[in-house]
Parts: sequence; C-alpha cells; structure tokens
Amino acid sequence: MTATVESLSPNTVQRRSALPTSEVAVRICDLVKTYGDGTEANRGISLEVRRGEIVAVVGPNGAGKTTFLRQLTTELRPTRGSVTVFAVDAVAEPGRAKRSMGITPQEAGLFERLTVREHFELFARLKRLSRKESLVAAQQVIQDLGLGPETNKKVGALSGGQRRRILIGLSLLGRPPLLVLDEPTTGLDPSSRRDVWRLIRRAVDQGSTVILSTHYMEEAERLSDRIGVIAKGKLIAFGTLDELLSNLERSYRLSYRNPTDKLSETQVLYFASFAEVRHHIHRALLTEYSTGRASLEDVFFELSGEPFDKDETEAAG
Amino acid sequence: MTRVMDIICVFRIQLAGTRREVGPFLLAAFVFPAAMYLFANGIAGVEAASEASRLRFLAGSIVFSLSLTSISWLGYLLLENRFTGRLKLFATLPLAPSSYIFGVLLFAIAQAGVSTTTLLLIGRALGVPISPNFPLLILVILLTILCLCGLGVVIAARARSFSQGSLLTDTLGAGLIFLAPVYYTPAAIPPVIRVFAQLLPTTFAARAVRITLTGGHAIGTDLLVLSLMALGTLALGFRLMRWRED
Repeated sequence: MTATVESLSPNTVQRRSALPTSEVAVRICDLVKTYGDGTEANRGISLEVRRGEIVAVVGPNGAGKTTFLRQLTTELRPTRGSVTVFAVDAVAEPGRAKRSMGITPQEAGLFERLTVREHFELFARLKRLSRKESLVAAQQVIQDLGLGPETNKKVGALSGGQRRRILIGLSLLGRPPLLVLDEPTTGLDPSSRRDVWRLIRRAVDQGSTVILSTHYMEEAERLSDRIGVIAKGKLIAFGTLDELLSNLERSYRLSYRNPTDKLSETQVLYFASFAEVRHHIHRALLTEYSTGRASLEDVFFELSGEPFDKDETEAAG
Repeated sequence: MTRVMDIICVFRIQLAGTRREVGPFLLAAFVFPAAMYLFANGIAGVEAASEASRLRFLAGSIVFSLSLTSISWLGYLLLENRFTGRLKLFATLPLAPSSYIFGVLLFAIAQAGVSTTTLLLIGRALGVPISPNFPLLILVILLTILCLCGLGVVIAARARSFSQGSLLTDTLGAGLIFLAPVYYTPAAIPPVIRVFAQLLPTTFAARAVRITLTGGHAIGTDLLVLSLMALGTLALGFRLMRWRED
C-alpha cells in the first residue's frame, strides 16, 4: 500500500500519477460539477484508485460524496474533468464503462411483488450472464447475504435492512471488477453492517476494486485501504489512515469534563505526544478523562476547521 | 441479440411484477372499454340498431382500450418505476434506455393483445357484423400502441412528480378518445375543434380499425400517418428518457 498524496492542505490535494495504467482501476482528473442553480457540488476532485483496493469517500451530508459517485457511475455528466474506469473513458462511453461496474445507489427501489430470487436471477440476466450462470450467481449471492430463508419471499414483505442487502447483492452479481457503493450500510443494524463489510472484503479477495461512500467514520477506518475526505465539494485529504493521521501535528486526543462542574460540556484537546497528554492531566488535576490516538473525525476537523456532525458519527458497530 | 435479450428480460421483470394483479390488469384493459361499448349503444338509442353504429362503437372501444393500455397504464408503470427509484436500478446496468422502453412496450403490446381479442369476441357475441382483416388489424393496433406509448414515455420522462404525471396520462388517455371522432362521427364535433380532432392519432386509429374490422384494406393514409406519429413520439420519448442527467 503506497500513498500517492504529496501534500495535504485544507483546500487542495496536489498529487501526481505515479502508477502505470495497468495498475489503475479508476482515474479521476479535475472533476467539477456545477448544477444549473450555480451550486458547486464537486470542485476539482482528482484521485487514482488502484486495482484491488478499497477506497472510502467520507464527509458530512451535503459534502459532495454522492455527486462524486454519481459522476463516476455515469449517472451524472460532469461539468468538467475526466473519469476513466479500467482505461475506458466513462464520460464518453458510459455504457462500456458500466460493464465493469457493480453499482449500489444510495436510494433505489426494488420490485415489491418480485421475490428475492427473481430479483437476482433477472438482474443477473441483464448483466449479461447466461441462464445457468444467473441461477448460480443468484444462489451464491443469496447465500452470501444471509437471505436464504427469504429466497422465495416477495420483497414487499422484507425489512428495510433486508432490502438494502438485496441492493448490495445486485451490485455483486457477476463479480464486477469495480464495485461502487453509495453509503452501502446506511440503515443496517451493526450485525448486518459487519456482514456487508465481510462481503466487501470477500469481493476484494476475489479481485474486485471497491469505492464506497460512507458517513460512518469508523466504517472508513476499519474497512478501507485509503480514505478520501470530501468537504464542501473538495477532496481535502486522500491517503491511508496512518498517512492522514500523521499529517496531524497533534495526533493525541484528550477528552475531559471540568471536574468542578459535572454538567459542563466535554472538552477536547490535542497533543503532539502521549507524554504531553499525561503532563496536562497531572497539571489540570483531571480525574475523569479519556485519551487516545486521534481519529478520522479529528482529521476532518483539523483539515476543514469544522466538526463532523455528531449525528453522523454514530458507532458503526 | 443482446438487445433482444435485454428487452425480453425487462418484459419478464414487468410481467413478474404484475402477475399477481390480473384482476385490476384486466379491469383496466377490458372492462372499462367494454362498458363504454354498451354505454354508447345505450345512449345511441334507435341509432344503435344500425350496423354502422355498432361497428363504430366496437372500433372505438378497441381504440379506447389501446389508449388506456398505452398511455394511462404504461405511463403509470413508467412513472412508478421512475419515482420509486426502480429506474435507478436499471440505470446501474449496461442496459440501453431504449431496451428498457421496448421491454415495457412489449408488456403493453401483450396487454393490448388480450384486451383486443376479448373485445372482438364480445362484439361477435353481441352480433356486431365483423369479418376482420387480421394482418392489417394487427398492424394498425401495433402502430397505434407505438404512437400512444411514445406519448406515455414523454410524459413519464418529463413529469415533475408522480401525481402530476399520472394526472397527465389519465387526462391524455381519456382526452384522446373523447375529443376525437372515435365513438361518434366528425360531424358531431363542434366546428371549432373539428380540424384539431381530426389530427389526433386516435382519429386515424379508429378509422383504420373500423375499416379492417369489416375486412377492408383502404387504410394507406391512416397507416402512413400513424407510422409517422409513432416515429415522432417514440423518437422524442427515447431522447427524453436517459440514464444520465446533465
């Protein structure tokens, strides 16, 4: 795993392409999306994703993650910039580019009156699998998703989490070389979320490359090889978790409450070393506190100057 | 070949999605037009005794059925797919939008086949004098469906909301029947709208169906106009129904 980030700054990530084309799954250059009302949803995003890695794109709601993924999956035409998927120009040849993708949109509807099996078999056929291959692929995905008991149930009778798993399963059909998953685990309980992580890992073991968006920081930290942080339409950081953390000048975190005021809000301080943390604890006579390495959430705060929405950082299980 | 497989697959998905709704399916495609046939006979009174009138009412009911199937019902289906996010599922696939439209259209054709056959049987049972020129009748029905489906696709692609879209498809589906000389003669239409009414696709469809029901074949102009209209509306529908947004 090698980083291609040259420098990190709050506004820009400058980088160069150091990889031969054969190793690149996705290459995105200077991607800009400006909507008709003038909203700049993506402002010059550039990154490369290597074959076989998992890249998570994180950021708060409205940061531009979904716009970014929609352009990657050819659903949205970029205002400017290029997207290349396995050496195919996805802007000029969306149909050809999509042949190598399995896509889970953030919101998509299923057919209420079709059974789970019918969904997988019919959509496998639309992914150009033969009849026999479709049957096998459907069976395999149903098993992998743990939907065996629901195989012949109509989708209308399933829970929201089960439907979400079906959407993910549809993208896995035919083992596409690139999986693009827009917030795949949103709405899932912790156990189902871990199942999905296992599925994603397995897909990578079988040769797939994965790009996913999430607003669960823990998911990005635990699942991905590299992480792209998007804020206000810009990619403000891109690299492995260690690389992102190492760019923090003060990567140790101390959280505490004022010992004389139990109702006070939690204070958070950052330090360059653990020794500094201990020194502060002794000096301030803190009795109730917690310490640890800084997290992705702290990286986001450091780079964007804004706290990541608390509601969006709920434990990913 | 791949495209044909895609179309068949979309058709199968639509079929599987509605197979448990056979009742409403038939109600929409058959019961309403059949009731309209009886209703037209009823209010026509003495005139209904004439063979020409009964033939007009039967042809009108067939075209009404096609209109309901192609605009109202198909439009509803497309709107439902669009506004419930199902269209997004298709958009994630290496599937051409035209294959999706033809798959849904194939479904509409199957539905129209069932309803037309049933109406013909009812007409014959009620003593309407018909001796259909089947090859030409089938051609007229296909062209009518293509033309009206194109309108349904245009509405479904452009509607801003499900309710707006379904209101438009319902209005157009019924309006194209009751504004055109389908159940009555052109002379019965107020002069102000007569020219407009005679340019509607349902006017050409009703005339062609009427002629082919009696074994006639002098429908060259009607076929030509329906073909051009079908080309126009479908071309517009294909242009508007795209997977990629700007």
